Amino acid sequence: MSIVTKQREPLRLPIKTEAELDKISNLPGHVIDQILSHLPIRDAVRTSVLSRKWRYKWATIPYLVFDNQCLNVSSQDQTFIKNKLVNIIDHVLLLHKGPLHKFKLSHRDLLGVTDIDRWILCLSRSSIKEFILEIWKGQRYKPPSCLFNCQNLIHLELFNCLLKPPLTFKGFKNLRSLDLQHITIIQNVFENLISSCPLLERLTLMNFTGVTHLNIDAPNLQFFDIGGIFDDVSFQNTVHLALVSIGLYVNIDNEENNAEENSSKLLRFFVNLPHIRRLEVQSYFLKYLAIGSVPSRLPNPCVDLNYLSIRIDFEDLEENIAAQCLLRSCPNLQELEMLARPEEQNSVETSSNFWEDDHWSSLFAHLRLVKVSGISGVKSEMDFIKFLLSNSPVLERLTVKPASQDGEWELMKELLRFRRASIYAEVIYLDP
Amino acid sequence: MSEVDMAVIKPEMMKSYIWLQTADGSIQQVEQEVAMFCPMICHEVIQKGMGSSKNYAISLPQRVNPAMLSLILDYCRFHQVPGRSNKERKSFDEKFIRMDTKRLCELTSAADSLQLKPLVDLTSRALARIIEGKTPEEIREIFHLPDDLTEEEKLEPLKNTTDDPRIRLLNRLYAKKRKELKEREKLKNVEAEEERVDDRSVDDLLSFINGDNGDSKGIKTSKSKKKNRRRKDQQKSTSANEANKNHSEESNGLNSVCHSSEVDQKIQPSIGATSNLQDVEDDIFANKNEFDDGDIDDEIDPALKEKIDREVEDFARRLNSDWPERMQEILSLGQERKAVHFPLNGNGSIRSRDDFKVRILP
Repeated sequence: MSIVTKQREPLRLPIKTEAELDKISNLPGHVIDQILSHLPIRDAVRTSVLSRKWRYKWATIPYLVFDNQCLNVSSQDQTFIKNKLVNIIDHVLLLHKGPLHKFKLSHRDLLGVTDIDRWILCLSRSSIKEFILEIWKGQRYKPPSCLFNCQNLIHLELFNCLLKPPLTFKGFKNLRSLDLQHITIIQNVFENLISSCPLLERLTLMNFTGVTHLNIDAPNLQFFDIGGIFDDVSFQNTVHLALVSIGLYVNIDNEENNAEENSSKLLRFFVNLPHIRRLEVQSYFLKYLAIGSVPSRLPNPCVDLNYLSIRIDFEDLEENIAAQCLLRSCPNLQELEMLARPEEQNSVETSSNFWEDDHWSSLFAHLRLVKVSGISGVKSEMDFIKFLLSNSPVLERLTVKPASQDGEWELMKELLRFRRASIYAEVIYLDP
Repeated sequence: MSEVDMAVIKPEMMKSYIWLQTADGSIQQVEQEVAMFCPMICHEVIQKGMGSSKNYAISLPQRVNPAMLSLILDYCRFHQVPGRSNKERKSFDEKFIRMDTKRLCELTSAADSLQLKPLVDLTSRALARIIEGKTPEEIREIFHLPDDLTEEEKLEPLKNTTDDPRIRLLNRLYAKKRKELKEREKLKNVEAEEERVDDRSVDDLLSFINGDNGDSKGIKTSKSKKKNRRRKDQQKSTSANEANKNHSEESNGLNSVCHSSEVDQKIQPSIGATSNLQDVEDDIFANKNEFDDGDIDDEIDPALKEKIDREVEDFARRLNSDWPERMQEILSLGQERKAVHFPLNGNGSIRSRDDFKVRILP
């Protein structure tokens, strides 16, 4: 037996009993829960062999996280790993007592549908508050309807799932944060879901199928992050929406769109975002915003907008017009990021200057930081930088990062030459 | 300073103090903004108006001794200043938390009683970092925990895996010892109750004696186990396999001791059942504890296997009828903590008998 000799305190304290030396076992239950929650699930459950008092301390931890680290197996046999993982989760769930607040399952190996169904059923009985499920392999997993009965849910995160709530589903009344990625959901189910979660503050939606018109009706929404393929996006009642990041992952053909639409998508987009603070226009979303007749500026300027990031093709006329509209509509902009979209160089390099220097300086009164990336030194890009430098009186730093090393020298030589409105401006050139 | 002096000087100093009394009776005064950083003190001051003078000092909870109080006040003194950057705070925290484990636990306790959540969070993370990745022995040593669980309880089908080969070996050793002890109980039991017709062949006797010589406990040895190895199959067939293994080895040991048709009917099933249970437990342990350990199963000669399969079915039937009485007998053998733990998701023939009052827990 190797566990026989215990190192007692040296003889200077002969009267102290073991019980007195043991300071940790008598900490209050919620403190022990907190300590164990910071451990990976393996180590937490292993504390059950420490001593009699520690036998079931792990059973009340309110957070259970089963991820790739909880199994340490060298075997490659899929069924073996799966069975072990299923065993572990079954055991832990069965022996767990007390309320369970957070459950995360994210394992790279394939898990059986019935197993996950069973676990969700178990969780739905224990007032779960945070539920994260990531299905790494296999088809879209359809959670059972008991998931939609978890009315205590505050945070729900699903990856690679198919959402089909039961007809009796009336929303998650306490849900504040929803993160759906690689999911399939039909249009009206999605709209119902969003509008029936009154407390929803954060919404992340990435790579979704089944929804083409994003109609977001969420009175408490503050953070909105979406990336995917859609036709239309509009907001209702979103006065609190402050951070928006949108990426349209498909290149839309503006020619035909412009023929049909007269109302500007840009106008419609901003009409219900009065207090937007950060906006990221990613992928091809600027093309979407360019649909319709774009005004020279928005009727109601976005006074709270202090960070703007745009992915743009500097050669495209419509996109430049849309970008200009945006820039004219945010008088308090402090940080700007322009990312050049790496298009195939099939468009003829345009000779006209989109960025004519035309009483702009009053509108960049607060712009301090600018970053321009992915450029290759073409005229339209340099026109923009020249325009920016001569119209930003309080600019502190302009960071330029080209896409490749081709034409680096030319780029730098031109940069050097541009006039700067701000005497404090630093122009920093980063290697590609 | 007397209170009068304090009252006079206070306006000039422009600083107010809160009086705190620790459990040992000593009273000290602390700057107000520092002390108010603790929610509990804040509550006492605002809701009950305590702490304004020496006579009305706030009594701090018992878990806060003067040493801990001074540590906590250091923490509060730093963090209550609003202008500090996150980086500064983090680096202070990292230095602050460097202390021996004992003081860390006391600090956690004291901070919790004062409801100072950020400090509780900091200390619990530090304690978690200490616990993480260590073996149970190391943890016990660090925190002075008594090692008061029986070896069986340690081997219960909780998820207490360890990759440490010493621990694995130890677990296996304990499992074997336990099994051997159980077998001895069965032997005693058997001898006391049943009449045996001893028709062992000479070979059987010899092999029994040889096996006995090799291991004074008289039952299957680790050597014989090691001889017969089989790659682990999936769970549903392992119990049958374990039973098979059991039988094949018992043909060396036990069966020769209690070999009669009568006995076969009664004893063998129960022994087989108990050992089956143990083996199933072992199997579960093996499944859970020794994830990488595929060498517990044995290889079985196919012809023998068929015979054994039949026997298994046979005793499984008998098991369902015999089991409760057998269990009572085994349990009443006067050995404390002879708990046989039934796997919660074992195989159909064994689990879920309501009569199993087997978990002897503190």
